[in-house]
This record gives sequence, structure tokens and C-alpha cells, in this order.
Amino acid sequence: MTMNEPTAIIEIKALRYDYGKTEAVHDFNLTVHAGRCYGLFGRNGAGKTTMMKCVLNLLRPHSGSVRLFGLDPAKHEVEVKRRLAYVPDYVAFYPWMSVRETLDYLSSFRAHWNRDLEHDLLNRFRLNPTQRTAALSKGQRTQLALISAICPEPELLLLDEPTSGLDPIVRREFIETVIGAYQEGDPGKRTILVSTHLITEFEGLIDEFTLIDHGRDVLTLDADQARSRYQKIRARFSEPAPAIEFKGALHSRRNGRELEIIANGEGAQIMETLRRLSPESLTAEALTLEEVFVATLK
Amino acid sequence: MMLQINFKSGKPVYLQVVDQIKTAAASGTLQAGEALPSIRPLAEELRVNRNTIAKAYSELENQGVIETLPGKGCFVLPNNSPLKKDVRRKLLIEEIDQAIVQAHHLQVAPSEFLDLVRERLCVIQQKQRASERALAAEQK
Repeated sequence: MTMNEPTAIIEIKALRYDYGKTEAVHDFNLTVHAGRCYGLFGRNGAGKTTMMKCVLNLLRPHSGSVRLFGLDPAKHEVEVKRRLAYVPDYVAFYPWMSVRETLDYLSSFRAHWNRDLEHDLLNRFRLNPTQRTAALSKGQRTQLALISAICPEPELLLLDEPTSGLDPIVRREFIETVIGAYQEGDPGKRTILVSTHLITEFEGLIDEFTLIDHGRDVLTLDADQARSRYQKIRARFSEPAPAIEFKGALHSRRNGRELEIIANGEGAQIMETLRRLSPESLTAEALTLEEVFVATLK
Repeated sequence: MMLQINFKSGKPVYLQVVDQIKTAAASGTLQAGEALPSIRPLAEELRVNRNTIAKAYSELENQGVIETLPGKGCFVLPNNSPLKKDVRRKLLIEEIDQAIVQAHHLQVAPSEFLDLVRERLCVIQQKQRASERALAAEQK
């Protein structure tokens, strides 16, 4: 590797994992560079959690390779786990421990723990340190898991469906905390991989993403590029809309005098063709990442 | 200063921040010497990646719109571009050409286009004057 090449924090090549005869993940590739916030988007059951578990070495891939920080997590388990933290979608704590005891217990496994940050976040989330974890709500459990993931200030933060099932206020606070408290430290050494189907709320955070469907990576793009490449074009004519096939149109829909086209990279040409047909109105807007997701998978 | 990100504009998010701050500086909403919000609270408020705001600020710095004082923050510079006049004109001409092309496609006639330009100049000048008055009143 040369000095100029950005470091791959996660590198997955041709990953395959099956549950019995069911292929959960296959031919899956993913590269996440240092300092990026990477989204793994997929429907329920698309293989996101299986992929996450392979990254964490909780499942051993049946073939293909996983490298974290350039290391094989199966061979260098301690070294790799020391440098990352994970927030799962369902968080389990020892129910008899208090919030304080839980944090003390979890921090005992870590070489580094930012006490000031822990104090700030406990206040921000209004968590009572003496409360037993059995009595915490789902939102509070996720907040406690986030505190325990951020305080070691790891180089890699893995978030698996972190906000599903939480109320909007808790979801907002969660994302603001990831941006503020986690990313603030040393931006070049703060890498995030978040798997979710709640794409809209992570939109601003995501630099780059992969769509996973039926265990395969179907689309990998930079977020800004995706929004400039995918367009929704709408035209309204004075007469019934013409039935034309457009090259580069992902979907098109005709409804009386109206025409709606989802363009993938060929937006400008499609606009030009439509303009020559003198429509009454012609508009184009970028697709949001969630719309790109829907347009690609439907 | 209120910034707003629109994911449907197709414009990269960091450029939206750059353009909105330049607009605020041109209209006097942001005055020379005024501090920009620091990166972290702005990123949290807009709920965008911290790196996006950092990239926008470094672009604004390259363009000579703001300066970063280590340990103090980012401040709006007086309108004093480091670029030579012909370079500045060339950059502006590119933008004007784009607007002319857009006007053609939107079927806005040349005379109407020129009227619109005059109208918009007036609007922005009025904003500048209003900001100056507000500032003067504040200093009294």
C-alpha cells in the first residue's frame, strides 16, 4: 500500500454466509475508508445483520474475506475489538446492575474511557445512574449502549439498526450525539458503519452507501453523487402524454396528460427530449437516498 | 443566520452550505468580522456529517470569504477577494452564462431577463442597507 492510498478500515470481499440451505449473504463486497460515515441500506431480511455479525466475528464467513484495520478479525480478535464499538438493535444488559454499575463493568474491558464524555452524555440523556437496567425503556437502553460505545472513543463505530423502534425525539438525540460527541474527537479516526432501513433520518450523515438486497450488494455510491445522478422528472402536456421509451429511465409512469420518469444519470438528455415536445410544465428534482433505495429495489 | 439543507436540490450538501453563507455575507446578514457558528453545533443542528461542514468552511476559506483563527473560530472577512480582477470577472461570466442558458430554456426573453437582474440587485442592496441600519442601531 502506498502512503497516499486512503486506509480501508473495513474491507469485505466476496463474503458468503448461509443458514442451512438459505443463502443469507453472498458475493458481498464492501470497502469503508477512514473518516467516512458509511450506510448499509436494505429491507428487513436483506442480510444486513448477518453482514454486521461477520464483521464482528460473531459469525464465521463460509467463504470470502473480512479485514478490519487490515487485520483478520478471527485471528486478531482482541486487537480488532479494542479499536471498535458496536450498538446492536436489541441491547441486553445485566438486569440486576444499575446504570452506574453497567458503565463501570463495561469500561473495565477498555484501555481508554472518557469520563467527562460519559458524564455529559448521562446528563444529556437524563439517565439516572442509580436506576437498574431492568427498569430502562427501549430508548434508554439504546442511549446507555451508545454511551458505552462512544466513551472508549473507538476508531470504528458499528451501528446495527440503532434507531428502529425508538420515538422521534430519542432518534434525533441519537444522531446528534453520533455527529457531535463521536465525530468531534479526531475526525480522521472516526469511522462509522450504520445499517438501517430508516434512511431519511441518516441522510445528512451518510457520505457513501451500499444497498444490500437478497444478500448481495446491488448499488454502491457516494451520497452526493447519488443525488445528482438520480432525478425525478415530471412533465405535463396539453394533450395525453406521449408514450416514449427513454434510455436511462429507471421507471416511467404515464397518467393522462402527465408523465413521471425516474432517470439514472441520463436526466439532462431526457429533459432535452421532453422539452422538444413542448410540455406545459417540466420539472426535475433529485431523489433523496430513500427514493434511490425504493427506485432501485422495486 | 439560518441554514437549510435541501436533499432534493441535487447540489452537494457542502456546496449548499458554502452558497448560503456567501449569500448571507453578500446581503449583510453576516457582517465582516462576525463569527460563524462552530462546526460541531452547526453539524448537530443541521444533522449533517461533521466533515461536510468542515469541507464547506475550508472551501469558504479558500475562496477568501472567511478566515480561521486557530482556537477562536471562523470569521467573515471583508469583501476583498485575493483573486485578480480578470479572474474574478471570468468566474462571474461563467455563472452569468449559466443563468442566460437557463433563461433560454425557461422561455424568459432577454429584456425580461435583464429586468429580473436589476430587480434582484435592488432586493439584495435593500437587504444590505437594512442590515447596515440594524447594525448602526445596535451600536448606538
